[in-house]
This record gives sequence, structure tokens and C-alpha cells, in this order.
Amino acid sequence: MKILGISAFYHDAAAALTIDGLPVAAVQEERLSRSKNDPAFPLRAITWCLDHAALEPEDLDAVIFYERPALKFDRVLMTLLRGFPQSWRIFPQAMKNMVGEKLWVRGIISAQLGVPAKRIHFTDHHLSHAAAAFLTAPTQQAAILTADGVGEWATLTVGQARKRSGGPAEISLLREVHFPHSLGLFYSAFTAWLGFPVNEGEYKVMGLAAYGTPRFAGEVRHMLHRTRDGAFALDLGYFDHHRAADAAYSHRFVELFGPPRDRFEPIDPTTPQGRHYADVAASAQCVLEEVIVDIATALRRETGLSDLCLGGGVALNGVANARILRASSFERLFVPPAPGDAGCALGAALWADRILFGQPHRDCPDHPFWGPAVVPTDLARLAAEDGLSCERVGEAELMDRLVDAIGRGAIVGWMEGAAEFGPRALGHRSILADPGDAAMRDRINRDIKFRESFRPFAPVVPADHAETFFELPPGGARLGRFMSGVFPVRPEWRDRLRAVTHVDGTARVQMLEAAMAPRLHALLMAYGRRHGLPVLLNTSFNLAGDPIVTSAAEGYSTFRRAGLDLLVAEDLIVRRDPARQDHSLEAMA
Amino acid sequence: MIRWRAPIDRMVWADPRRRARKLMQFAEVEAQGARDLFRAAEVTPDPHLRRRLFAHARDEVRHAALFRARGLALRRTLADPGPDRALGDGLIPGERGFDRLEVEKESMAALLAFIHLSERAAAHAFAAYGAVLGHDPETRAVIARIARDEEGHMRYSRAELARLAPDQGRRALWIARLRRLWRAYLRLALILADLISRLILTLVYFLLLAPFAWMAKRSARRQAPGWRACVDRSRDGGGGQY
Repeated sequence: MKILGISAFYHDAAAALTIDGLPVAAVQEERLSRSKNDPAFPLRAITWCLDHAALEPEDLDAVIFYERPALKFDRVLMTLLRGFPQSWRIFPQAMKNMVGEKLWVRGIISAQLGVPAKRIHFTDHHLSHAAAAFLTAPTQQAAILTADGVGEWATLTVGQARKRSGGPAEISLLREVHFPHSLGLFYSAFTAWLGFPVNEGEYKVMGLAAYGTPRFAGEVRHMLHRTRDGAFALDLGYFDHHRAADAAYSHRFVELFGPPRDRFEPIDPTTPQGRHYADVAASAQCVLEEVIVDIATALRRETGLSDLCLGGGVALNGVANARILRASSFERLFVPPAPGDAGCALGAALWADRILFGQPHRDCPDHPFWGPAVVPTDLARLAAEDGLSCERVGEAELMDRLVDAIGRGAIVGWMEGAAEFGPRALGHRSILADPGDAAMRDRINRDIKFRESFRPFAPVVPADHAETFFELPPGGARLGRFMSGVFPVRPEWRDRLRAVTHVDGTARVQMLEAAMAPRLHALLMAYGRRHGLPVLLNTSFNLAGDPIVTSAAEGYSTFRRAGLDLLVAEDLIVRRDPARQDHSLEAMA
Repeated sequence: MIRWRAPIDRMVWADPRRRARKLMQFAEVEAQGARDLFRAAEVTPDPHLRRRLFAHARDEVRHAALFRARGLALRRTLADPGPDRALGDGLIPGERGFDRLEVEKESMAALLAFIHLSERAAAHAFAAYGAVLGHDPETRAVIARIARDEEGHMRYSRAELARLAPDQGRRALWIARLRRLWRAYLRLALILADLISRLILTLVYFLLLAPFAWMAKRSARRQAPGWRACVDRSRDGGGGQY
């Protein structure tokens, strides 16, 4: 069967195509529209997926949308009614959003693609998350935990699932927590109060938390308390997400923690004010971890299963993931490379194949590379037109040159094969640099990525060398496969891994197996042979505010804008020429 | 053109809060303009134009930094900087940069004509602001510097239009003018439609929803927070909207 999965209209729209039960293409709309977190109907992504498989829309057996719009409308309307009369300000906007577009998804898909309405199906938002986590994971039986801001009504679900290659697959979600009680929206309130954009700045809260101590944990536990049945509830007096469209926290929240941070002013964790923000972030992180670890532990006891599949936006919190692995007694934790809403496009397509249409399960390839491929000849043309040094070199020589350049402090843009599906650069669209130089971290933050100085960078290491440098709990290697866990750097290596060791001595490490990205693995091994440790700083190949690069032209543009030293696309290497760049290329009419 | 709007500009730029807010908005507009231009540079097949667009985009990045630095400096002098946004976005056409330009969908002639007109509008607007900013020489210096760059951008975009589309340049400019007018009309129409729909929906809210709200609140009181069983949707085949 040919099934197209779509997620759209909230944030981070995406499309994914499966043929006979296996993914063949998946891409976020932002990677093609070049508009970060693009929520629009993903027509570009759909077109690319179909073109990639040489299909026309009429060839599709089914199109599946990742959530149920009518049920979502039910939640929006009910929330407005329950908030009467304080909800009067949000009512017009909410109605225009829902009735103006989001309710008519079947019609939109049918009109845009020309697919008959009867071929368009829907599934639950959290079931899409669960399917994305479970049906792509190399496990036959697992407990399921999904948590995000909100889907239709559910904000968190638990369940279990089983599958057998060539046999049936089954996912059963047992219980759920309903809006407005939400771990994702709880964290988003702190994100907003700290002056970061919601649905984008949650990483920053996690990074900032390492600078603080959770001295407000007691207060935060009042805001997010446990219910007798083992779930949780928010004290809604501190939050506004159920009353206002553009507010996440209430006056009571501000009375408790003080005025929100001015988003235009930088955070300096060394100042008293900066420490206060860091302490609040640490408290929110601490309480989030307590709640999710408790729920996971109870789920482990209830199901008796040793594997846990984790999905939803909360699964992007690598610190919490690592704590779940350490504390919940699950032996393995599977987080897909795109655990957020974009990944729901793939989850929905796989759910439709296995569950809705009852097709036998087929094991999915265990990698994230489902996007458009880089075309090195495009890069060669662009570089030649701009008179930059550009050459094709053999594998051994390329590795040799890169190892030498990175060792001397060069920063490399690395593009290889198909782009990653999901928010993280996992070896095909990366910026690579020396992990040992703290000045390197500051240079990349300040001059290349243009981002806050307190944010850490991630290392990438061959999976079979990870134990040498990082303190991994059992199952840690799996969690590190898609950079989903944060682990301590071994004290004896922290000095030599300064650029990738966060202030609390941890790192969000990617543990790379040779089969997943052989060329990057070979580069790491070559770097290790020359410099003594097979670790590189690996950050996504983009600038602040931009999506990760997809094509050679975007890589080349970012290479020039960021002042990277080298750009590699497959076997092609382009070298920056500072003199030319400063004078002839940038000369204005 | 500058003379008739001087009293309005004087009023707008007299208030330091509004001045700071506008500068921060300009910084965002310039940053978005830079992204559009970098995108245009990525998709253009002409290497010469690509270099020009790239240089222009770098200028926009620099402008964003200048506006932002000055806006932040002004904000720091204020006891209460106020909200980030006024009603709508409060921007007039000359302040909108490339105004949600979809680069991939434009022909090069249309793109250059649009850039030329946008830069011209910006240059005129900045010249007008400079004329009323005598009381704030630092902001005036920033705006004057950027206005000079905008004039350079006007010239290069016109020259590139003449080079790449010698027969279509005049027509492309007229079409771009009409499109800018159409966008201005659409923006106004959308604001009006938004106001009208808000009014109608607010009336609906207060006149019709009260009894349903009472019932919804009553049902909410009966629902304790905590776990709920997941609904089994297999009876509808599992693929419905509800």
C-alpha cells in the first residue's frame, strides 16, 4: 500500500510516505519552505515525497492526517465554554482559526491533492506519536509513554504495544491525562516566562537549568502536583494557556517568580538576575523529571515490559530521558529521531498501514535519513562561479585533510546523502569542529550560530567508544543513537572535551554506529587515530532562526554567511578564501 | 511626499517607547529581509546577481544589528518599555521590507522590481524619519546611514533589472507597483474583516453561549483531574474525524 502521512496547522508541518509498510520519504515543510517551524499545509513536502517515489497523488491508497480535527474543535470549544466569560478575548481568534481552516482538513487535502475524500483518514494525535516511537523501533514489545503540549484532548498517554515482523502489530493506549493539565504546557509556561519562544525555546530552558539549583522546586510542585491515581494536575491559577491565545502563565505565576525576562536582553547566569532565571529553569526541569520518572516507573511495574517507547515533544528533553532510563528500571528507551509533531506524519502513515489496514509489520530501517539528498555537482557549480577553491578528492585524502583542518581549529560544514527527518543533525547536515577547545564553543555560538553563550554543543562519538568518554547507564547507547539523552562526561576527559561539556559536566552525545553514517564514522575514527580521541563537536548546519540546510545551495549560502572554513558535500570539498570573500564577492554596486 | 507626512512622523517618533518599539520592529523586518535575499541568492541561476543579492542580504543583516542595538539602547533608558507590539504590527508600507515575499514563486524580473520598489519606499520613509529626529541624533544617524544603503540597493536592483530583463523592466515595475497596492488593499480589507468578525463573534459569545457555558462548567466540576481511560475508536473503523 502507498500511504501518505501528514501533520500540519499547529507547528512543524511534515509529510511522510510509506510504500508496502516501509518509509521511503519524510521531510518537514520548513526544510523546503525555509521558514522555521512552518505550520502551513505541507504542500512542498508532499510534492517532494511523491516526486521522490515517482508517484502521482491518485496513486496513493490512503492519506492519513495525524490527528482528529473535529475532536480538537470539541476541546477548543469546551475550553472556551468552561472559561466563560473570561475567555471572551480568545473566542473570536480561536473560532476563526478552527472554523476558518483547521476543521476542514479533509476538504483541504482533497482539494490540494485531488485525492477522493473517502481515501482520507484520521488518527489520534497521541496514537501518531506512539506509532512513530514504537513502529520504527527495533523492539517487539514495549510500554508506550507519549507527552506533549496537547493533541485533541490528551496531553499524556500510557499504553503498551507489540509487533512481530511479518505478523500483526497492536498498539493499545490505556490511559491519558486531559487538557488543560499538560507537562508540555507546564514547561512552555516557563519557556515563555524566560523570554524564549514557545515550541522552539524549550531547549534553552533545559540548557539554562544546568546553571541553576532547583531552589524553587517546592513552589513548582504546588503548581504541578500529583493526583491520587498517580497522574498529575496543574494548579490552573498559575497558568493562562486555557484562557488566552498568547499567554502561557498568569499574574500569580509572576507574583511567585517575579517579572518575566525581557526577551531582548541577554541572560548572563553569572549575575544575580541570571542565576534567578537559571534557578527557576532548574526547578521546572527538576519537577518535570520527577513527574515523568514516576509515571514511567509505575508503567514499568504495571506492564512488566523492559522496553519503553517515548514520543511527543516532551521526549526532546534529553535530561529527563536519561533520568527515566536511570531511575525507572526500563532497560531500553526508544525515542525516535522526530518525536515531535513532525514525526507524527510518519507515525500516522505507519499506524494506518499496520493497524487501520491490518498489513503485516515490517521492520523499519533504523535511521533518520528520509529527506532530500545533497547534489554535489550543484555545489561545484556555485563554488566555481564564485571562484572558490573546490575539488573532488578520494575518501582517504578527504578524511586526512578534514582531520588535519579540524585539528588546526577549522570549522567544517558537512553534507552527506539524504537529510535527517527531525529537529537534530545526526550526521548528514552538521557543523563539525574540535571538541577540546572552549574558545571554539564560544566562537561557534557567537560568530557562526549567533546564539546565546550559555547553550551547550553536542559531541558525536562512535558507539563502541562512547563508554570511554561518557558515563552511560545500561541502555544509554540506544538513547544516544538519535541524540536523545544527556549523560555525564567522564571527569578525566572533561578538560579535553571542553567545547562539548556543559557547565554541569554533561553532554547530549550522539553515539554513532558505522552502519548509520559510515563516512562520518570513518572521519571520527580517523580523527581519533590522529588526535587521540574519536569525538567531534556536532551541531546542526543552520544559523539561528533558519531551518537546517537541505540542498547544496543552502549549505553553500550558510557556509558563506557563517564564515565556515570548509564545506564538504559527499566527496567535494570547498575552502573559504577570506580575502576573496571580504573584497570581491561582497562588493556592492 | 515627505512634507505632508511630517506632522504624523513627528508625532510617531516623539514618544521614546514607540521609537524603541519601531526600531526593534525594523530590526525584525530587516532580518527577515535578509533571509528572503539569501534565499533569492540561493535560487538564482545568475552568478553576478547572486553576488549582488548576497551582498544586499549582508547589508540587511547589518541593518538589523544597527536597528536592534539602537532600539535596545533606547529601551534601556525607559522605566517601562511597554508591549512589544502596537495594534496590528503598526508598520506602514515603506517599513515592511519585502513583505512576505515568496522568492521561489517570483521570476527574476518580478523579484528585482519588487526589491527596487521596496527599497525605494524604505529610502523615502527613512528620509522622512530622519527629518523629524532632530531631538535624537543617535537614532537619526542610524537611520541616515541605513537610508544611504537603501539608495544603493535601489540603484543596483534597477541596474540588474535592466541587465537581466531589458525588455520587461518597465512592465515588471508597473506590475510590482500594482501588486504593492493590491497588498495594501488586502491588508486593509483583512484588518476590517478581522474587526467585523471579532465584533460578530463577541456578540455571539455573550448572547448565545451563556447557557452552554453553564452546562460545560457543570460537567467540568464533575471531572476530577487525573487518569482517564482512552476511548476505543475501532467501531468507526478508526479513521474518522471524531
